[in-house]
Amino acid sequence: MKKRQQVCSEYQKKRETALKLVSQAGKAIQNGALTKKNLVWLELTGCSGNIISLLDGVNPGFQYLLTRMVNFVYDNSLSAAENTAAMDQLFSVLGTDYILAVEGAVATKNNGRYNIIGSVQGRPLTALEAVKRLGEKAAHVIAVGACATHGGPSAARPNPAACVSVQSVLQRPVIKLPGCPCHPDWFLGTLAAILLFGEVALDRQDRPLLFYSTLIHDRCPRRSFFDRGIFAEKLGDKTCMFKLGCRGPVTRTDCPVRQWNAYVNWPVKDDTPCIGCAQFGFPDRMEPFISYDTTRREHGQTDHS
Amino acid sequence: MAKQIILNPVTRISGFMAITVTIENRTVVAAQTSGLLFRGFEQMLIGRNPFDAVYFTQRICGICSAAHSLASTLALENALQIKPGDQGRYLRDIVHGCEFLQNHIRHFYQYTLPDYVKMPADFPVFHTQYNDFRLPKDRNDELVRHYFASLEISRQAHEMLAVLGGKAPHNHGVFIGGITTRATAAKIIKIKAILATISQFINEIMLPDVYTIAEYYPEYFDLGKGYGNLLSYGCFDGYSDLGTLYVNPSVYIDGKIQAFDPAGITEEIDYSWYRDRVQAYRPFETMPVDEQVKPQAYSWVKAARYHNLPFEVGPLARQWLSGDYRRGISALDRTIARVLEAKKITNIITTLVERLVPGTVTQDVYQVPRTAAGAGLIDTTRGALGHWLKIAGGKLSFYQIITPTVWNLSSHGNNGLPGTAEQALSGTPVADPDKPVELGRVIRSFDPCISCATHVYVPGKPVKTVTVVP
Repeated sequence: MKKRQQVCSEYQKKRETALKLVSQAGKAIQNGALTKKNLVWLELTGCSGNIISLLDGVNPGFQYLLTRMVNFVYDNSLSAAENTAAMDQLFSVLGTDYILAVEGAVATKNNGRYNIIGSVQGRPLTALEAVKRLGEKAAHVIAVGACATHGGPSAARPNPAACVSVQSVLQRPVIKLPGCPCHPDWFLGTLAAILLFGEVALDRQDRPLLFYSTLIHDRCPRRSFFDRGIFAEKLGDKTCMFKLGCRGPVTRTDCPVRQWNAYVNWPVKDDTPCIGCAQFGFPDRMEPFISYDTTRREHGQTDHS
Repeated sequence: MAKQIILNPVTRISGFMAITVTIENRTVVAAQTSGLLFRGFEQMLIGRNPFDAVYFTQRICGICSAAHSLASTLALENALQIKPGDQGRYLRDIVHGCEFLQNHIRHFYQYTLPDYVKMPADFPVFHTQYNDFRLPKDRNDELVRHYFASLEISRQAHEMLAVLGGKAPHNHGVFIGGITTRATAAKIIKIKAILATISQFINEIMLPDVYTIAEYYPEYFDLGKGYGNLLSYGCFDGYSDLGTLYVNPSVYIDGKIQAFDPAGITEEIDYSWYRDRVQAYRPFETMPVDEQVKPQAYSWVKAARYHNLPFEVGPLARQWLSGDYRRGISALDRTIARVLEAKKITNIITTLVERLVPGTVTQDVYQVPRTAAGAGLIDTTRGALGHWLKIAGGKLSFYQIITPTVWNLSSHGNNGLPGTAEQALSGTPVADPDKPVELGRVIRSFDPCISCATHVYVPGKPVKTVTVVP
């Protein structure tokens, strides 16, 4: 476990939420108070970047998830088996107590044939069919990342593969962890809470309050610049990114407190605007990502697009 | 008698893929590779703010997102006629180098190793139907330990990327002019510290490991050759003061290295599910639309060609063209070249970091022209990546992307020649047709990234057996 630098005690507590839950779950499994559940990680239409983000986690690292928290049953990027043996492995969870994590959107065009994830009994298996079969029977379904929670970049205008969210094809509650990608702590903390308590407190859009309760803008280290009207004119400036198109004022996550990749950095600290990747509506409703003055009409434009 | 084997899914790649092969006398005589995922990013980009392409196109790929930020940035710089300064180039090439390391370490350990090393059976995700595992127990156990140790190392490569890039996957740092943020002494020290750990791992663990694999599976030096045509758009090249640290744009054909000419690039769609007024075109000319009824087509992966011929791209192509590695062209050479390249990249990053001047600002206020066009060609982790864009009325009006996987995993060309990996599969012996472990070993040596092959699709009906093309 990686030790982080000391900051304000409230921030410190916030940052440790995921780690504490994960440690508690790991211990409960170790001393027999909890039994390990099966976890399936299903990749659909997307960039497979959420499994990469999960591998980038440090509190805990992926090995802890694999060895201490769950029976990790299947993931297209990691499974040793291939072909029908991989499919058998995937569907072996049916009839057991399992949690389904899904990354990627569900392609519905041509009856789902725009995303084939394998073959069952000589017949191509669409992602649409797989998520329905596995989703209805799972103890919990967690939609991981923007494509799974609301279609995300895979459903961006004009939505060429007719992608929809995981929730759209399932008649059951789905926990939603938006983000492009999802932060590993958001997933691991949510998973640990489910293992420990059987549920996790959600907001009205099914996001865990643990991680998605506060606007980026409200905890942004550059907030004082906003309050005084001191705005960045270009990327790389050290002041408020609002006029460059920052979506911090509409995006609810803990990026300013938690930060990314072993907590070394995050977009605003990298002198760029937040692009709202963890907000529903990303990317179409969060654009333009970069514009040099959102409050000024550009030459020759008649309206804001 | 001919027999057909379909492998679906081919796991341990980024995205979804199937292989269909015809075997005679336990040897592959014809092969088709099919991506199973359609995304259509080029369609999505039309009408968007040109600057947004840098962040938007990264969503093509979660394992090589920085590659797309580089190519889109180069295309925009070309369109806006902006030349980045030396510091800007160093900074973003460091970011790109970090991504090479993240990719190569993950590809070797997480994607490749389970083909050759028996992973522990107490983890369900490691269960496999195969049993051709030849390492003695102590060495097998050692490589399993390295599989787990590598998780921390590849993770650190992304941490190093985020020091300058803000986050990974999908960084915010790479942009027109260089990167968004400034190098500071603290950031430089952080990068050096992580780089030292990664270099040590590559030199002391990863390099010996790949030669261990080679020792026990030597026949893969004779398998998976393909055509032997190699191509690179160049990378870490042409610095005003440092010259070329890795490889210049170049091709290798008929035993000779030649200069690369961008005008030679075409895409062909005779055998893929696309419709256009032409069946072959240069990148700027047209962007075909999907067409599901097309009898001769068998896949929706287009065929990227250079002077009408298939080419291999990626680490082996670069190592060969740069003169760093010339042992041979095969599945095993490809895997060894990838590991050697990881070592090379650590040296390049070290050189670039030494040149950084803390506090240098590489950003400016950029204006979108009303009308412009630009191309961004660069070699990335998996090989040659090109973005071609047009701007009209201040918005993107055209976008073309040709990814490395569209070269390596391409469908047949209009002249009937199989794609590079299809050709590499031909001649592969299959000892047990019910457990064709050999196919995955050959195909993974190319490190396919189907998430990136943005316009692929497989039809629902069984793939027909193809005729063998000489």
